[in-house]
Amino acid sequence: MTENTEKLPPKERMKIPRQSMPEQEPNVRNSNFQEVPLGLTEEQALLEANRCIECKKAPCIPGCPVEVDIPGFIRLVMDKEYAAAARKIKETNALPAVCGRVCPQEEQCEMVCTLSKKFKPVAVGYLERFVADYERENDLVQLPEIAPPTGKKVAIVGSGPAGLTVAGDLVKLGHKITVFEALHKPGGVLVYGIPEFRLPKHIVQAECDVLAEMGVEFQNSTVVGKMDTIDELFEMGYDSVFIGTGAGLPNFMGVPGENLIGIYSANEYLTRSNLMRAYDFPNNDTPIIEGKNIAVLGGGNTAMDAVRTGLRLGADNAYIVYRRSEAEMPARAEEIHHAMDEGVQFHLLTTPIKFNGNGDGKVTSMECMQMELGEPDDSGRRRPVPIEGSNFIMEVDLVVVAIGNSSNPLIPQTTPGLDTNRWGNITVDEETMETSRKGVFAGGDIVTGGATVILAAGAGKKAARAMHAFMMNEVASQV
Amino acid sequence: MKFDSVEQILTFAIGKEQEAADFYTDLAGKMEGKQMREAFLEFAAEELGHKKKLEAVVEGKVLLSSEERVVDLKIGESLTEVDAKPDMGFQEALMVAIQNETNAYTLYKNLAVATDDSGLKDLFLGLAQEEAKHKLRFEVEYDDFVHQEN
Repeated sequence: MTENTEKLPPKERMKIPRQSMPEQEPNVRNSNFQEVPLGLTEEQALLEANRCIECKKAPCIPGCPVEVDIPGFIRLVMDKEYAAAARKIKETNALPAVCGRVCPQEEQCEMVCTLSKKFKPVAVGYLERFVADYERENDLVQLPEIAPPTGKKVAIVGSGPAGLTVAGDLVKLGHKITVFEALHKPGGVLVYGIPEFRLPKHIVQAECDVLAEMGVEFQNSTVVGKMDTIDELFEMGYDSVFIGTGAGLPNFMGVPGENLIGIYSANEYLTRSNLMRAYDFPNNDTPIIEGKNIAVLGGGNTAMDAVRTGLRLGADNAYIVYRRSEAEMPARAEEIHHAMDEGVQFHLLTTPIKFNGNGDGKVTSMECMQMELGEPDDSGRRRPVPIEGSNFIMEVDLVVVAIGNSSNPLIPQTTPGLDTNRWGNITVDEETMETSRKGVFAGGDIVTGGATVILAAGAGKKAARAMHAFMMNEVASQV
Repeated sequence: MKFDSVEQILTFAIGKEQEAADFYTDLAGKMEGKQMREAFLEFAAEELGHKKKLEAVVEGKVLLSSEERVVDLKIGESLTEVDAKPDMGFQEALMVAIQNETNAYTLYKNLAVATDDSGLKDLFLGLAQEEAKHKLRFEVEYDDFVHQEN
């Protein structure tokens, strides 16, 4: 099966079809929480790698927010140097097993792939996942060299992708790192937000374990902003602080009845199911409302995660209710199709304007209206407008609001002098990620609002460089 | 509420814009956070801008059009009422603003319906259109900020 295509001319390489990732059948996977895509086989990975024509311009590199040397790692795959390929990625992206699963490559590196002008682009994400899994599953993860201790202490608040990246980069440089995590396990949105069937928790745990082996200390169940403030961290002897607390404040629509029992924010619903493992009853006894008719409001990846979770928890009908059309959905096309294949019903151009409940205060239905889209306005966004008289009732016993998130307000509220914008995002110098407070840096969703894992990791890289310079300049000035 | 002349109506409308500006300035003073203070002062400044436009109408420098079609996202119509409080966030601030603009829009629409004078009716509709634009400005921000993924 495996053939050496190393010397194939580009034209021959282009004849190799893009490899499809094997996945669980829809009618099987919609009742279990195991990962849906199963990963490429080695044969498929080699074929896929050989589709790369190694073009000179390599637009995939600037197409990646952290500029992974994509042709470089793909060349190593062709040479069957899979662990080396994973290490090549890790030179700029500490979380390839995660990004290989959840990064929107179709909007980044794959979108600009030279091959995509005539053919399907090289499946960079599939290959990234393949090499990262290969390295981990074969115990080939190597700890990087750690520089001699600098004597500097860094506090990282939040253990999502931004915080983990900062931790990895700074511990290598010899700094003493403590990661403060509010929940009982590290990983942030990677563990509380993304379901097991899309990102197995053991993968995130493995990344944290490597950091721990490198010397990073994780202090879980510690809510900075409540238990200790940022100022108190400095008093405790930390030389620099990174805030990566994410966008954990759910938005609600603001319509009547939204506080009825049976209406969750996506954050709460997914946290109960994912991190608190409500799906794993009776091994875990986390309460969760298991609706028979569940409506998830929104069209992003979080909405897809929630509605597919609802199906797996036993819903007879799982609906996506979204104000715009499929073309405007922010979720990855792959996730939308996964949801459709699994039996999720899409009510597009629809919005609830009111939730109705019974005498016990439980949601029983929602009054909805049909929408139509206006022309794109100056911003380019098409605005949904309700159609007069289109009201109808949808029977539901569980609603999950997944319309968007805002920044976690706890630290901005308890840190004098820390500037935010009106949406509550911490404002930073975009080059250094330094905040308005000296020695305090921030990155990830707390700065950008809800964005991608790779953008958060990229921000973490920038911040780590600046924090190192900040601390070492201080050392130099003390000499 | 009864109006007999264009001048009376415009004086009333100018007064309403000033009232709105004062309302937001007062709210700004009550906010705990700097960002909300700034947001409400910005809203107040916008209301003063509207007032200035109406003053220009009085001076004959600007004409109000009742023909102009303004998109109505109707977000305000389904929002719950919120009370302004010192620790409110930006979503609630937008809800307060949308509520105010919706009320002003409805007021002028109703006044237009209530008058038989076609000149006055046109003016009320023109004022309603102005308020519809203000409402749209806040509803667009609500759409972008609250309904990020919806």
